[in-house]
Amino acid sequence: MLRLNAKTIFRWSFSLLAMVLLAPPSVPAADIGNCLLCHKYPGLSRIDEDGRLRLLFINEATMNSSVHARVKCEDCHTDIKKIPHDPAKKVDCLTQCHIVEPTSEQKFSHKEVARFLSKSVHGLKDRDQKPKKHPEDLPSCKDCHDNPLYRPLSIFKQKVHPGISKAALGRCRVCHKKDEFIYRFYNHVTTRLHKIRSPKNIAEICARCHDDAQLAARHGLSTKAVYSYGETFHGKAALFLDERVPDCLDCHVNPGRSVHQMLSYKDSNAITNENNKGLICANMDCHPGASPKLAEYRVHPEFDLERNPYQFYAQVFFLGMTGSVLLPIMGLLFLDLLRRMFPNASLRRRK
Amino acid sequence: MKKLLSKLYLLLLMAFTVFMMVVIWDVTLGKLVAEFRHRKLSQQATEMKAGQKEASETTTFKQAILEGEKRVKHYLGYRVLEQRWLKGHFHHIDFDFKPDKHNYCINCHGDMPHDKVKELRAFGNMHASFIGCQTCHVRLEGSARTGVFKWYDRTTGEIVDSPVEKGTQAGAYNAKIIPFERIDGRLQRVDTPERVAFARDYRKNEKTLTDIQKSKAKKIIHKIVSKKPYLCGDCHRKEGSLLPFKELGYPQERINVIVSTEVVGMIHKYTEFYMPRILHPGESEEK
Repeated sequence: MLRLNAKTIFRWSFSLLAMVLLAPPSVPAADIGNCLLCHKYPGLSRIDEDGRLRLLFINEATMNSSVHARVKCEDCHTDIKKIPHDPAKKVDCLTQCHIVEPTSEQKFSHKEVARFLSKSVHGLKDRDQKPKKHPEDLPSCKDCHDNPLYRPLSIFKQKVHPGISKAALGRCRVCHKKDEFIYRFYNHVTTRLHKIRSPKNIAEICARCHDDAQLAARHGLSTKAVYSYGETFHGKAALFLDERVPDCLDCHVNPGRSVHQMLSYKDSNAITNENNKGLICANMDCHPGASPKLAEYRVHPEFDLERNPYQFYAQVFFLGMTGSVLLPIMGLLFLDLLRRMFPNASLRRRK
Repeated sequence: MKKLLSKLYLLLLMAFTVFMMVVIWDVTLGKLVAEFRHRKLSQQATEMKAGQKEASETTTFKQAILEGEKRVKHYLGYRVLEQRWLKGHFHHIDFDFKPDKHNYCINCHGDMPHDKVKELRAFGNMHASFIGCQTCHVRLEGSARTGVFKWYDRTTGEIVDSPVEKGTQAGAYNAKIIPFERIDGRLQRVDTPERVAFARDYRKNEKTLTDIQKSKAKKIIHKIVSKKPYLCGDCHRKEGSLLPFKELGYPQERINVIVSTEVVGMIHKYTEFYMPRILHPGESEEK
């Protein structure tokens, strides 16, 4: 029988307190329609008529770590009015949802993003408002975006590391009482203080089109834009998950503008335009005070004799030279070690 | 001893030298060769240029099947989320099933076999992720019917303890349910080693068999399969459920959900209003 002495009561109280304090915050998804009754099952899936896998599973924990955690399922899947429902239609990202933007107190929608995109280099019309060729190649929302996940940051005594700062949460709780609000607000703000994707992930997304040789050829683009970025110092660092190096968007988007407002380098307002690109490297966050000439180096050198003869010959010379010198040296070293291993071995027959 | 250590040291140095030679080749001359090859492929693609998109969009096996298996890693800082990449899929999956290496049905039918009845296909596949095919598609009759069901491990095929624990994500188990039959007084799982071996032998020798031999083999493999499978309502019911949820290790609160009014009511809606043909599978499809 359990004896309730002071020590036991203390232990139980401590355990309960620890459970309450250490338990992860419960942030329920906006599942008012009880969609997760079925969609919480990882196996909920089918192969469609075109042979594509349709995965209908919603991972609640991951969904709750995303920027859309508070959006109700039916706010996006507007055609679903009953359960069981018919196959869902394609979601229109421009649909107005029930989230209210706090400063304008208007219902939220991505219409502004569509407006930006239509005027950008990725828009369906060119600068003369003529329809571009191969509009099916141009990106729509889901070509670049999946559900954006929070990447919270902890800032403590000027040290920044990934994750949530417990010290900061303590300060939030002085005024704010709901943990769900505190976590969401913290995640939202600290995620927006930096990039929602790592430079490597951003490059991978751009590469889906810009490293597609056929797509690039159809639009007269450099065929290996992201591959060539990967050949540079910045690209190598990005590959090793360095978050400090510039990714595609840092150079190709005008300062203070959204990624959806990216302009062609031919546009005189574009930061990548020949007359403006000196400002790219010299910005405060990268190389403050750097000469505009720093931006004159070829960021996307192609291994192509016609386009980049200097880079081509330099690469062939240095790589060829390095390989031709080091490989024979290593070969000789190997033979020397072999001799030391078998000092009396000989290919000739002994007389 | 000293001589042995010295030889070992030399051997390690030789291995290191070879390793370095491979690395140097990769970053110098090998890289040049790769660049030339890549350039050639790019030029070929460039030559295709505009107007030939239709030709390039021809669905190849590589595009349709193999490229669907790409994976992507999201670097979130505090964790790396690695998952299957599906073009145009918005929601993160963040979950992987281990392949079911024991089930012999999926060798031919795949692990998403349900696609005939529009209203049922995704639910069928969902259940197939934690229920062995024979559980629904084999109706044991007479003395063979035991009412015994157990879990088998997807990887090893061995009977294991129930993976359903309080707090486990529903349906995300590394095990599946398989029925047991009684033959000559002996309790045995329906997917006996003989049946598994027969099906595997068929797959192995399929290319060499004549059409008649194939038909015979298929008939024998499917001999135990019932024309009318068990349906949703056979398990999702408060009384007389086919599956003994308690014995299968389901906590009472999970059982309550499985047989809840929400689930049973939804099945009722399906069967009565949306898809009465579920009661007569196959008939309406043929019509």
